[in-house]
Amino acid sequence: MNTLIDELKQLIIRVLDLEDVTPADIDPQAPLFGDGLGLDSIDALELGVAIQKHYHITLDATSAETRQHFYSLANLAKFITERQAS
Amino acid sequence: MNAADKIILFSGQRPQLSATQYRVVAYTGNGELLADDFHARVAGIARHLRQRPEQRWALVCDDTFWFAVGFLALARARKTLIFPQASGPANVAEAQAAAVLTDQPTRFPSLVTLDVAAVTESGTAVGTDLDDELLIELYTSGSTGRPKRVDKLLGQLRAEVAALEVQWGQTLGDAVVLATVPHHHLYGLLFRVLWPLWAGRPFYAPTCEQAFEFNTAASRFGRCLMVSSPAFLTRVTDFGRLQPSDAFRAVFSSGAPLPEATAAKIANESGRAAIEVYGSTETGGIAWRDWEPEVGQTPWHCLTGVEIAAPGNTPGLLRVRSPWTWRADWVETGDLGQALAQRRFLLHGRADSVLKVEDKRVSLAEMERHLVAHEFVSEARLLVLKGKRSSVGAVVVLSAAGRRQLQQAGAQKVRKLLLEMLRTWYEPVLVPRKWRFVESLPGNAMGKIESARLQALFTERG
Repeated sequence: MNTLIDELKQLIIRVLDLEDVTPADIDPQAPLFGDGLGLDSIDALELGVAIQKHYHITLDATSAETRQHFYSLANLAKFITERQAS
Repeated sequence: MNAADKIILFSGQRPQLSATQYRVVAYTGNGELLADDFHARVAGIARHLRQRPEQRWALVCDDTFWFAVGFLALARARKTLIFPQASGPANVAEAQAAAVLTDQPTRFPSLVTLDVAAVTESGTAVGTDLDDELLIELYTSGSTGRPKRVDKLLGQLRAEVAALEVQWGQTLGDAVVLATVPHHHLYGLLFRVLWPLWAGRPFYAPTCEQAFEFNTAASRFGRCLMVSSPAFLTRVTDFGRLQPSDAFRAVFSSGAPLPEATAAKIANESGRAAIEVYGSTETGGIAWRDWEPEVGQTPWHCLTGVEIAAPGNTPGLLRVRSPWTWRADWVETGDLGQALAQRRFLLHGRADSVLKVEDKRVSLAEMERHLVAHEFVSEARLLVLKGKRSSVGAVVVLSAAGRRQLQQAGAQKVRKLLLEMLRTWYEPVLVPRKWRFVESLPGNAMGKIESARLQALFTERG
Protein backbone atom coordinates (compact mmCIF):
# COMPACT_ATOMS: atom_id res chain seq x y z
CA MET A 1 0.00 0.00 0.00
CA ASN A 2 2.84 2.41 0.88
CA THR A 3 4.48 1.78 -2.49
CA LEU A 4 1.19 2.55 -4.19
CA ILE A 5 0.81 5.79 -2.22
CA ASP A 6 4.34 6.89 -3.16
CA GLU A 7 3.64 6.02 -6.78
CA LEU A 8 0.38 8.00 -6.72
CA LYS A 9 2.18 11.03 -5.27
CA GLN A 10 4.62 10.97 -8.20
CA LEU A 11 1.77 10.45 -10.65
CA ILE A 12 -0.21 13.41 -9.26
CA ILE A 13 2.77 15.77 -9.37
CA ARG A 14 3.73 14.73 -12.89
CA VAL A 15 0.29 14.47 -14.52
CA LEU A 16 -1.07 17.63 -12.95
CA ASP A 17 2.17 19.56 -13.46
CA LEU A 18 2.27 20.81 -9.85
CA GLU A 19 5.08 23.25 -9.26
CA ASP A 20 6.94 23.46 -5.96
CA VAL A 21 5.15 20.39 -4.56
CA THR A 22 7.27 17.45 -3.40
CA PRO A 23 5.92 13.99 -2.49
CA ALA A 24 6.61 14.83 1.15
CA ASP A 25 4.20 17.79 0.91
CA ILE A 26 1.26 15.50 0.14
CA ASP A 27 -0.40 14.13 3.25
CA PRO A 28 -2.16 10.86 2.29
CA GLN A 29 -5.02 11.63 4.70
CA ALA A 30 -5.53 15.29 3.70
CA PRO A 31 -8.19 16.37 1.18
CA LEU A 32 -6.90 16.50 -2.40
CA PHE A 33 -9.33 19.25 -3.31
CA GLY A 34 -10.23 22.60 -1.74
CA ASP A 35 -8.37 23.38 1.47
CA GLY A 36 -5.90 20.48 1.28
CA LEU A 37 -3.69 20.13 -1.78
CA GLY A 38 -5.94 22.61 -3.59
CA LEU A 39 -6.70 20.60 -6.72
CA ASP A 40 -9.62 21.69 -8.91
CA SER A 41 -12.27 20.06 -11.11
CA ILE A 42 -9.96 19.85 -14.15
CA ASP A 43 -7.33 18.12 -11.98
CA ALA A 44 -10.00 15.65 -10.84
CA LEU A 45 -10.79 14.73 -14.43
CA GLU A 46 -7.15 14.46 -15.49
CA LEU A 47 -6.40 12.34 -12.44
CA GLY A 48 -9.34 10.02 -13.16
CA VAL A 49 -8.15 9.51 -16.73
CA ALA A 50 -4.51 8.99 -15.71
CA ILE A 51 -5.39 6.40 -13.07
CA GLN A 52 -7.48 4.33 -15.48
CA LYS A 53 -4.68 4.42 -18.04
CA HIS A 54 -1.80 3.81 -15.66
CA TYR A 55 -3.39 0.94 -13.72
CA HIS A 56 -5.39 -0.52 -16.63
CA ILE A 57 -8.61 -0.44 -14.65
CA THR A 58 -12.10 0.64 -15.59
CA LEU A 59 -13.76 2.77 -12.97
CA ASP A 60 -17.46 2.73 -12.28
CA ALA A 61 -19.10 4.57 -9.40
CA THR A 62 -21.88 7.00 -8.53
CA SER A 63 -21.08 10.64 -7.87
CA ALA A 64 -21.19 10.28 -4.09
CA GLU A 65 -18.88 7.25 -4.16
CA THR A 66 -16.53 9.01 -6.55
CA ARG A 67 -16.27 11.98 -4.23
CA GLN A 68 -15.36 9.59 -1.42
CA HIS A 69 -12.77 7.69 -3.48
CA PHE A 70 -11.10 10.91 -4.65
CA TYR A 71 -11.25 12.61 -1.25
CA SER A 72 -7.67 11.78 -0.25
CA LEU A 73 -4.65 9.90 -1.51
CA ALA A 74 -5.27 7.11 1.01
CA ASN A 75 -8.86 6.65 -0.22
CA LEU A 76 -7.67 6.65 -3.81
CA ALA A 77 -5.05 3.97 -3.11
CA LYS A 78 -7.69 1.82 -1.43
CA PHE A 79 -10.06 2.25 -4.37
CA ILE A 80 -7.39 1.30 -6.92
CA THR A 81 -6.38 -1.77 -4.90
CA GLU A 82 -10.00 -2.96 -4.78
CA ARG A 83 -10.47 -2.48 -8.52
CA GLN A 84 -7.25 -4.28 -9.35
CA ALA A 85 -8.36 -7.25 -7.26
CA SER A 86 -11.82 -7.49 -8.85
CA MET B 1 -54.51 17.76 -8.07
CA ASN B 2 -51.82 15.64 -9.66
CA ALA B 3 -48.12 16.42 -9.51
CA ALA B 4 -48.11 17.87 -13.01
CA ASP B 5 -50.51 20.63 -12.01
CA LYS B 6 -48.37 21.60 -9.08
CA ILE B 7 -45.16 22.34 -10.90
CA ILE B 8 -46.29 25.78 -11.86
CA LEU B 9 -42.92 27.31 -12.33
CA PHE B 10 -43.95 29.52 -15.18
CA SER B 11 -47.15 30.51 -16.85
CA GLY B 12 -47.78 29.72 -20.48
CA GLN B 13 -48.13 26.58 -22.50
CA ARG B 14 -46.42 23.52 -21.05
CA PRO B 15 -45.01 20.44 -22.72
CA GLN B 16 -47.29 17.44 -22.97
CA LEU B 17 -45.85 14.81 -20.65
CA SER B 18 -47.70 12.30 -18.58
CA ALA B 19 -48.26 12.82 -14.85
CA THR B 20 -45.89 9.98 -14.02
CA GLN B 21 -43.08 11.92 -15.69
CA TYR B 22 -43.64 14.71 -13.18
CA ARG B 23 -43.57 12.33 -10.20
CA VAL B 24 -39.78 12.40 -9.70
CA VAL B 25 -38.22 15.86 -9.58
CA ALA B 26 -34.64 14.77 -9.00
CA TYR B 27 -32.44 11.75 -8.43
CA THR B 28 -29.77 11.67 -5.75
CA GLY B 29 -26.77 9.33 -5.70
CA ASN B 30 -28.99 6.39 -4.80
CA GLY B 31 -32.53 7.67 -4.26
CA GLU B 32 -35.24 9.79 -5.80
CA LEU B 33 -36.94 12.98 -4.68
CA LEU B 34 -40.63 13.10 -5.36
CA ALA B 35 -42.66 16.04 -6.59
CA ASP B 36 -44.99 16.04 -3.55
CA ASP B 37 -42.08 16.34 -1.14
CA PHE B 38 -40.41 18.95 -3.31
CA HIS B 39 -43.50 21.16 -3.39
CA ALA B 40 -44.23 20.80 0.31
CA ARG B 41 -40.69 22.01 1.03
CA VAL B 42 -40.93 24.89 -1.43
CA ALA B 43 -44.22 26.01 0.09
CA GLY B 44 -42.91 25.74 3.66
CA ILE B 45 -39.73 27.69 2.99
CA ALA B 46 -41.64 30.32 1.00
CA ARG B 47 -44.00 30.77 3.94
CA HIS B 48 -41.02 31.19 6.27
CA LEU B 49 -39.33 33.66 3.90
CA ARG B 50 -42.43 35.83 3.59
CA GLN B 51 -42.14 36.60 7.30
CA ARG B 52 -38.50 37.61 7.02
CA PRO B 53 -37.69 41.33 6.67
CA GLU B 54 -34.72 40.82 4.31
CA GLN B 55 -35.57 41.44 0.65
CA ARG B 56 -32.25 40.65 -1.09
CA TRP B 57 -31.28 36.96 -0.80
CA ALA B 58 -28.21 35.22 -2.13
CA LEU B 59 -28.85 31.57 -3.03
CA VAL B 60 -25.73 29.46 -2.48
CA CYS B 61 -26.20 25.68 -2.44
CA ASP B 62 -23.74 22.89 -3.24
CA ASP B 63 -26.55 20.43 -3.93
CA THR B 64 -28.71 21.08 -6.99
CA PHE B 65 -31.86 19.70 -5.36
CA TRP B 66 -31.62 22.26 -2.54
CA PHE B 67 -30.74 24.92 -5.08
CA ALA B 68 -33.96 24.18 -6.99
CA VAL B 69 -36.04 24.19 -3.79
CA GLY B 70 -34.42 27.49 -2.75
CA PHE B 71 -34.97 29.08 -6.15
CA LEU B 72 -38.68 28.37 -6.20
CA ALA B 73 -39.18 29.27 -2.53
CA LEU B 74 -37.50 32.68 -2.96
CA ALA B 75 -39.46 33.31 -6.14
CA ARG B 76 -42.75 32.42 -4.43
CA ALA B 77 -41.90 34.72 -1.52
CA ARG B 78 -41.12 37.48 -4.07
CA LYS B 79 -37.59 38.03 -2.82
CA THR B 80 -34.82 39.37 -5.06
CA LEU B 81 -32.67 36.39 -6.06
CA ILE B 82 -28.91 36.89 -6.13
CA PHE B 83 -26.38 34.45 -7.59
CA PRO B 84 -22.89 35.60 -6.58
CA GLN B 85 -20.04 34.98 -9.01
CA ALA B 86 -18.69 32.16 -6.84
CA SER B 87 -19.77 30.45 -3.61
CA GLY B 88 -17.50 32.13 -1.03
CA PRO B 89 -18.48 34.61 1.72
CA ALA B 90 -16.59 37.42 -0.06
CA ASN B 91 -18.68 36.91 -3.20
CA VAL B 92 -21.91 37.13 -1.20
CA ALA B 93 -20.72 40.32 0.51
CA GLU B 94 -19.72 41.87 -2.83
CA ALA B 95 -23.20 41.16 -4.20
CA GLN B 96 -24.72 43.10 -1.29
CA ALA B 97 -27.15 40.42 -0.25
CA ALA B 98 -28.98 40.95 3.05
CA ALA B 99 -29.11 37.21 3.77
CA VAL B 100 -28.07 33.84 2.35
CA LEU B 101 -30.32 30.86 1.69
CA THR B 102 -27.91 27.94 1.70
CA ASP B 103 -27.28 24.25 2.38
CA GLN B 104 -23.81 25.23 3.74
CA PRO B 105 -24.64 27.62 6.65
CA THR B 106 -21.28 27.14 8.38
CA ARG B 107 -19.52 28.70 5.39
CA PHE B 108 -21.03 32.10 6.21
CA PRO B 109 -20.42 32.68 9.94
CA SER B 110 -20.66 36.47 9.75
CA LEU B 111 -23.75 36.69 7.54
CA VAL B 112 -27.46 36.21 8.13
CA THR B 113 -28.24 32.73 6.84
CA LEU B 114 -31.18 30.38 6.51
CA ASP B 115 -30.39 26.68 6.23
CA VAL B 116 -32.58 25.52 3.35
CA ALA B 117 -32.45 21.92 4.57
CA ALA B 118 -33.40 22.76 8.16
CA VAL B 119 -36.72 24.55 7.64
CA THR B 120 -39.30 22.26 9.19
CA GLU B 121 -42.40 24.14 8.15
CA SER B 122 -44.17 22.60 5.25
CA GLY B 123 -47.09 23.80 3.28
CA THR B 124 -49.50 22.84 0.61
CA ALA B 125 -48.55 23.88 -2.86
CA VAL B 126 -50.38 26.94 -4.05
CA GLY B 127 -51.01 26.86 -7.74
CA THR B 128 -50.38 30.50 -8.47
CA ASP B 129 -48.11 31.71 -11.22
CA LEU B 130 -44.86 33.34 -10.32
CA ASP B 131 -44.24 37.01 -10.96
CA ASP B 132 -42.57 37.48 -14.35
CA GLU B 133 -41.20 40.85 -13.16
CA LEU B 134 -39.26 39.28 -10.28
CA LEU B 135 -35.64 40.52 -10.29
CA ILE B 136 -32.74 38.04 -10.53
CA GLU B 137 -29.14 39.24 -10.24
CA LEU B 138 -26.33 37.17 -11.76
CA TYR B 139 -22.60 37.90 -11.84
CA THR B 140 -19.98 37.41 -14.49
CA SER B 141 -16.44 38.67 -15.06
CA GLY B 142 -16.32 42.00 -16.83
CA SER B 143 -13.30 43.61 -18.46
CA THR B 144 -13.25 46.57 -16.06
CA GLY B 145 -11.70 44.88 -13.05
CA ARG B 146 -14.84 44.26 -11.03
CA PRO B 147 -17.41 41.46 -11.22
CA LYS B 148 -20.20 42.58 -13.51
CA ARG B 149 -23.80 42.33 -12.35
CA VAL B 150 -26.32 41.20 -14.96
CA ASP B 151 -30.00 41.67 -14.16
CA LYS B 152 -32.70 39.35 -15.44
CA LEU B 153 -36.43 39.19 -14.91
CA LEU B 154 -37.99 35.82 -14.21
CA GLY B 155 -40.06 36.28 -17.38
CA GLN B 156 -36.86 36.38 -19.44
CA LEU B 157 -35.78 33.01 -18.06
CA ARG B 158 -39.26 31.61 -18.68
CA ALA B 159 -39.15 32.78 -22.30
CA GLU B 160 -35.73 31.24 -22.85
CA VAL B 161 -36.66 27.90 -21.32
CA ALA B 162 -39.74 27.78 -23.56
CA ALA B 163 -37.55 28.38 -26.62
CA LEU B 164 -35.20 25.55 -25.57
CA GLU B 165 -38.16 23.20 -25.26
CA VAL B 166 -39.41 24.18 -28.73
CA GLN B 167 -35.96 23.42 -30.16
CA TRP B 168 -35.16 20.13 -28.40
CA GLY B 169 -38.15 18.96 -26.33
CA GLN B 170 -39.21 16.25 -28.77
CA THR B 171 -35.72 14.77 -29.00
CA LEU B 172 -35.20 14.71 -25.25
CA GLY B 173 -38.55 13.28 -24.14
CA ASP B 174 -38.32 12.08 -20.57
CA ALA B 175 -34.49 11.87 -20.38
CA VAL B 176 -32.80 12.42 -17.02
CA VAL B 177 -30.64 15.56 -16.98
CA LEU B 178 -26.99 14.94 -16.00
CA ALA B 179 -24.59 17.86 -15.65
CA THR B 180 -20.95 18.76 -15.21
CA VAL B 181 -21.42 22.55 -14.96
CA PRO B 182 -22.38 24.68 -11.91
CA HIS B 183 -26.03 25.61 -11.38
CA HIS B 184 -25.45 29.22 -10.32
CA HIS B 185 -24.25 30.47 -13.69
CA LEU B 186 -26.80 31.09 -16.42
CA TYR B 187 -26.08 28.04 -18.59
CA GLY B 188 -26.40 25.61 -15.68
CA LEU B 189 -29.31 27.52 -14.13
CA LEU B 190 -31.31 27.18 -17.35
CA PHE B 191 -30.20 23.79 -18.67
CA ARG B 192 -29.88 21.73 -15.50
CA VAL B 193 -32.48 23.36 -13.21
CA LEU B 194 -35.18 25.56 -14.71
CA TRP B 195 -35.70 23.80 -18.04
CA PRO B 196 -36.02 20.34 -16.40
CA LEU B 197 -38.34 21.69 -13.70
CA TRP B 198 -40.56 23.34 -16.25
CA ALA B 199 -40.57 20.47 -18.73
CA GLY B 200 -41.04 17.80 -16.06
CA ARG B 201 -37.72 16.10 -16.78
CA PRO B 202 -36.03 14.75 -13.67
CA PHE B 203 -32.54 16.01 -13.01
CA TYR B 204 -29.64 14.21 -11.34
CA ALA B 205 -28.74 16.35 -8.30
CA PRO B 206 -24.99 15.64 -7.97
CA THR B 207 -22.59 17.28 -10.39
CA CYS B 208 -20.71 14.63 -12.38
CA GLU B 209 -16.98 15.11 -11.89
CA GLN B 210 -15.63 12.07 -13.71
CA ALA B 211 -16.51 10.74 -17.15
CA PHE B 212 -17.19 7.27 -15.74
CA GLU B 213 -20.05 8.64 -13.60
CA PHE B 214 -22.00 9.01 -16.85
CA ASN B 215 -21.76 5.27 -17.47
CA THR B 216 -23.02 4.54 -13.98
CA ALA B 217 -25.88 7.01 -14.38
CA ALA B 218 -26.72 5.93 -17.93
CA SER B 219 -27.08 2.30 -16.95
CA ARG B 220 -29.20 3.30 -13.95
CA PHE B 221 -31.61 5.61 -15.81
CA GLY B 222 -31.55 4.11 -19.32
CA ARG B 223 -32.20 7.51 -20.88
CA CYS B 224 -30.35 10.74 -20.21
CA LEU B 225 -28.86 13.90 -21.58
CA MET B 226 -25.63 15.64 -20.67
CA VAL B 227 -25.17 19.33 -19.89
CA SER B 228 -21.45 19.90 -20.19
CA SER B 229 -18.65 22.10 -21.45
CA PRO B 230 -15.47 21.82 -23.56
CA ALA B 231 -13.30 21.74 -20.39
CA PHE B 232 -15.00 18.46 -19.46
CA LEU B 233 -15.67 16.95 -22.87
CA THR B 234 -12.10 17.39 -24.14
CA ARG B 235 -10.94 15.20 -21.22
CA VAL B 236 -13.30 12.28 -21.80
CA THR B 237 -11.13 9.58 -23.33
CA ASP B 238 -13.79 7.26 -24.71
CA PHE B 239 -17.34 8.29 -25.66
CA GLY B 240 -17.99 4.75 -26.87
CA ARG B 241 -18.12 3.78 -23.22
CA LEU B 242 -21.25 5.85 -22.66
CA GLN B 243 -23.49 2.82 -22.55
CA PRO B 244 -26.07 1.93 -23.58
CA SER B 245 -25.22 4.17 -26.53
CA ASP B 246 -28.86 4.99 -27.27
CA ALA B 247 -29.28 6.19 -23.67
CA PHE B 248 -27.76 9.54 -24.52
CA ARG B 249 -30.39 11.62 -26.23
CA ALA B 250 -28.18 14.73 -26.38
CA VAL B 251 -24.83 16.08 -25.28
CA PHE B 252 -24.94 19.87 -24.81
CA SER B 253 -21.73 21.89 -24.70
CA SER B 254 -21.40 25.57 -23.90
CA GLY B 255 -18.86 28.03 -22.50
CA ALA B 256 -16.42 28.06 -25.42
CA PRO B 257 -16.21 26.50 -28.88
CA LEU B 258 -15.77 22.73 -28.78
CA PRO B 259 -12.43 21.86 -30.40
CA GLU B 260 -12.88 20.25 -33.82
CA ALA B 261 -11.15 17.02 -32.76
CA THR B 262 -13.39 16.60 -29.70
CA ALA B 263 -16.56 17.30 -31.70
CA ALA B 264 -15.50 14.69 -34.28
CA LYS B 265 -14.62 12.18 -31.55
CA ILE B 266 -18.03 12.58 -29.86
CA ALA B 267 -19.86 12.11 -33.17
CA ASN B 268 -17.78 9.09 -34.22
CA GLU B 269 -17.74 7.24 -30.90
CA SER B 270 -21.20 7.99 -29.54
CA GLY B 271 -22.97 8.12 -32.90
CA ARG B 272 -24.50 11.47 -32.00
CA ALA B 273 -23.13 14.96 -32.64
CA ALA B 274 -22.75 17.21 -29.62
CA ILE B 275 -25.07 20.22 -29.62
CA GLU B 276 -23.05 23.37 -29.04
CA VAL B 277 -24.91 26.32 -27.53
CA TYR B 278 -23.61 29.86 -27.91
CA GLY B 279 -24.64 32.58 -25.48
CA SER B 280 -23.50 34.66 -22.52
CA THR B 281 -24.79 35.83 -19.17
CA GLU B 282 -25.69 39.22 -20.66
CA THR B 283 -27.52 37.91 -23.74
CA GLY B 284 -28.78 34.50 -22.67
CA GLY B 285 -28.84 31.80 -25.34
CA ILE B 286 -28.22 33.00 -28.89
CA ALA B 287 -27.59 30.10 -31.22
CA TRP B 288 -26.71 26.43 -31.58
CA ARG B 289 -24.98 24.09 -33.99
CA ASP B 290 -24.39 20.36 -34.54
CA TRP B 291 -20.91 19.50 -35.64
CA GLU B 292 -20.77 18.50 -39.29
CA PRO B 293 -17.79 16.74 -40.84
CA GLU B 294 -15.77 18.52 -43.50
CA VAL B 295 -17.45 21.91 -43.54
CA GLY B 296 -14.63 23.92 -41.98
CA GLN B 297 -16.28 26.22 -39.48
CA THR B 298 -19.84 25.02 -38.86
CA PRO B 299 -22.26 28.00 -38.93
CA TRP B 300 -24.45 28.82 -35.91
CA HIS B 301 -28.27 28.76 -36.17
CA CYS B 302 -30.22 31.37 -34.19
CA LEU B 303 -32.56 29.97 -31.55
CA THR B 304 -36.26 30.58 -32.18
CA GLY B 305 -37.06 34.22 -31.38
CA VAL B 306 -33.45 35.47 -31.65
CA GLU B 307 -32.50 38.26 -34.05
CA ILE B 308 -28.86 39.07 -34.79
CA ALA B 309 -27.15 42.04 -36.39
CA ALA B 310 -23.64 41.71 -37.82
CA PRO B 311 -21.93 42.65 -41.09
CA GLY B 312 -22.23 40.12 -43.92
CA ASN B 313 -19.01 40.77 -45.80
CA THR B 314 -16.48 41.09 -42.99
CA PRO B 315 -16.43 40.15 -39.27
CA GLY B 316 -17.85 42.84 -37.00
CA LEU B 317 -19.39 43.29 -33.56
CA LEU B 318 -22.31 40.89 -33.14
CA ARG B 319 -25.48 42.31 -31.59
CA VAL B 320 -28.47 40.30 -30.38
CA ARG B 321 -32.12 40.87 -29.55
CA SER B 322 -34.53 38.25 -28.21
CA PRO B 323 -37.51 37.84 -25.86
CA TRP B 324 -34.92 37.11 -23.13
CA THR B 325 -32.58 40.06 -23.61
CA TRP B 326 -33.27 42.93 -21.17
CA ARG B 327 -36.64 44.50 -22.12
CA ALA B 328 -36.32 42.60 -25.43
CA ASP B 329 -33.78 45.21 -26.58
CA TRP B 330 -30.50 44.92 -28.54
CA VAL B 331 -27.40 43.78 -26.59
CA GLU B 332 -23.78 43.81 -27.78
CA THR B 333 -22.04 40.46 -27.38
CA GLY B 334 -18.38 41.54 -27.42
CA ASP B 335 -17.83 38.81 -30.04
CA LEU B 336 -17.01 39.29 -33.71
CA GLY B 337 -19.63 37.77 -36.01
CA GLN B 338 -20.42 37.51 -39.70
CA ALA B 339 -24.03 37.12 -40.81
CA LEU B 340 -25.02 34.41 -43.29
CA ALA B 341 -28.35 33.65 -44.97
CA GLN B 342 -31.22 31.86 -43.15
CA ARG B 343 -30.59 33.29 -39.66
CA ARG B 344 -27.13 31.76 -39.49
CA PHE B 345 -23.76 33.32 -38.72
CA LEU B 346 -20.07 32.63 -38.12
CA LEU B 347 -18.03 33.63 -35.07
CA HIS B 348 -14.52 35.08 -35.23
CA GLY B 349 -13.34 35.50 -31.62
CA ARG B 350 -13.59 38.37 -29.12
CA ALA B 351 -13.72 42.07 -29.91
CA ASP B 352 -12.33 43.00 -26.46
CA SER B 353 -9.76 41.72 -23.98
CA VAL B 354 -12.00 39.37 -21.97
CA LEU B 355 -10.18 36.07 -21.50
CA LYS B 356 -11.30 32.54 -20.79
CA VAL B 357 -9.55 29.93 -18.71
CA GLU B 358 -11.02 26.45 -19.23
CA ASP B 359 -14.32 27.97 -20.49
CA LYS B 360 -14.61 30.38 -17.56
CA ARG B 361 -14.51 34.08 -18.22
CA VAL B 362 -11.96 35.83 -16.03
CA SER B 363 -10.83 39.41 -15.58
CA LEU B 364 -7.12 39.42 -14.82
CA ALA B 365 -7.32 43.11 -13.86
CA GLU B 366 -9.83 42.22 -11.14
CA MET B 367 -7.63 39.44 -9.76
CA GLU B 368 -4.59 41.74 -9.82
CA ARG B 369 -6.61 44.26 -7.78
CA HIS B 370 -7.27 41.58 -5.13
CA LEU B 371 -3.59 40.60 -5.01
CA VAL B 372 -2.33 44.17 -4.66
CA ALA B 373 -4.83 44.74 -1.84
CA HIS B 374 -2.98 42.06 0.18
CA GLU B 375 -0.35 43.31 2.64
CA PHE B 376 2.32 41.03 1.15
CA VAL B 377 2.02 42.37 -2.39
CA SER B 378 3.17 45.63 -3.90
CA GLU B 379 2.75 44.83 -7.61
CA ALA B 380 1.22 41.94 -9.52
CA ARG B 381 0.75 40.93 -13.16
CA LEU B 382 -1.32 37.94 -14.21
CA LEU B 383 -1.32 36.12 -17.52
CA VAL B 384 -2.97 33.11 -19.11
CA LEU B 385 -0.57 30.20 -19.57
CA LYS B 386 -1.26 27.74 -22.37
CA GLY B 387 -0.30 24.12 -22.03
CA LYS B 388 -2.11 20.82 -21.68
CA ARG B 389 -4.63 22.96 -19.78
CA SER B 390 -4.97 26.72 -19.68
CA SER B 391 -4.32 28.35 -16.31
CA VAL B 392 -3.42 31.64 -14.69
CA GLY B 393 0.21 32.49 -13.87
CA ALA B 394 1.10 35.16 -11.31
CA VAL B 395 4.16 37.41 -11.33
CA VAL B 396 4.39 39.18 -7.98
CA VAL B 397 6.62 41.86 -6.48
CA LEU B 398 6.40 41.43 -2.72
CA SER B 399 6.04 44.30 -0.25
CA ALA B 400 8.40 44.67 2.73
CA ALA B 401 5.98 42.57 4.81
CA GLY B 402 5.83 39.98 2.04
CA ARG B 403 9.61 39.77 1.80
CA ARG B 404 9.87 39.28 5.56
CA GLN B 405 7.35 36.44 5.34
CA LEU B 406 9.27 34.92 2.43
CA GLN B 407 12.52 34.92 4.43
CA GLN B 408 10.92 33.49 7.55
CA ALA B 409 8.48 30.96 6.12
CA GLY B 410 9.50 30.37 2.52
CA ALA B 411 7.91 30.92 -0.89
CA GLN B 412 5.56 27.98 -0.52
CA LYS B 413 3.96 29.51 2.57
CA VAL B 414 3.59 32.96 0.93
CA ARG B 415 1.99 31.34 -2.10
CA LYS B 416 -0.37 29.36 0.13
CA LEU B 417 -1.54 32.47 2.00
CA LEU B 418 -2.15 34.41 -1.22
CA LEU B 419 -4.03 31.44 -2.69
CA GLU B 420 -6.22 31.21 0.40
CA MET B 421 -7.18 34.85 -0.04
CA LEU B 422 -7.93 34.43 -3.77
CA ARG B 423 -9.98 31.27 -3.15
CA THR B 424 -12.44 33.32 -1.09
CA TRP B 425 -13.19 35.21 -4.33
CA TYR B 426 -12.58 32.78 -7.18
CA GLU B 427 -13.55 29.31 -8.32
CA PRO B 428 -10.65 26.87 -7.89
CA VAL B 429 -10.05 26.57 -11.65
CA LEU B 430 -9.26 30.29 -11.93
CA VAL B 431 -6.72 30.82 -9.12
CA PRO B 432 -3.07 30.98 -10.27
CA ARG B 433 -1.34 27.60 -10.57
CA LYS B 434 2.14 28.98 -11.11
CA TRP B 435 3.82 31.81 -9.20
CA ARG B 436 6.96 33.84 -9.77
CA PHE B 437 8.21 36.20 -7.06
CA VAL B 438 10.41 38.85 -8.68
CA GLU B 439 12.36 41.96 -7.60
CA SER B 440 10.64 44.11 -10.20
CA LEU B 441 8.24 43.54 -13.08
CA PRO B 442 10.05 43.07 -16.40
CA GLY B 443 9.60 46.29 -18.37
CA ASN B 444 11.13 47.63 -21.57
CA ALA B 445 13.00 50.94 -21.94
CA MET B 446 9.66 52.76 -22.17
CA GLY B 447 8.56 51.34 -18.82
CA LYS B 448 5.88 49.19 -20.48
CA ILE B 449 5.39 45.66 -19.15
CA GLU B 450 6.05 43.22 -21.93
CA SER B 451 3.82 40.19 -22.01
CA ALA B 452 6.45 38.13 -23.87
CA ARG B 453 8.90 38.70 -21.02
CA LEU B 454 6.23 37.75 -18.45
CA GLN B 455 5.53 34.54 -20.40
CA ALA B 456 9.26 33.80 -20.51
CA LEU B 457 9.37 33.71 -16.70
CA PHE B 458 7.23 30.58 -16.87
CA THR B 459 8.76 28.81 -19.86
CA GLU B 460 12.34 29.15 -18.62
CA ARG B 461 11.68 26.99 -15.60
CA GLY B 462 9.61 24.53 -17.59
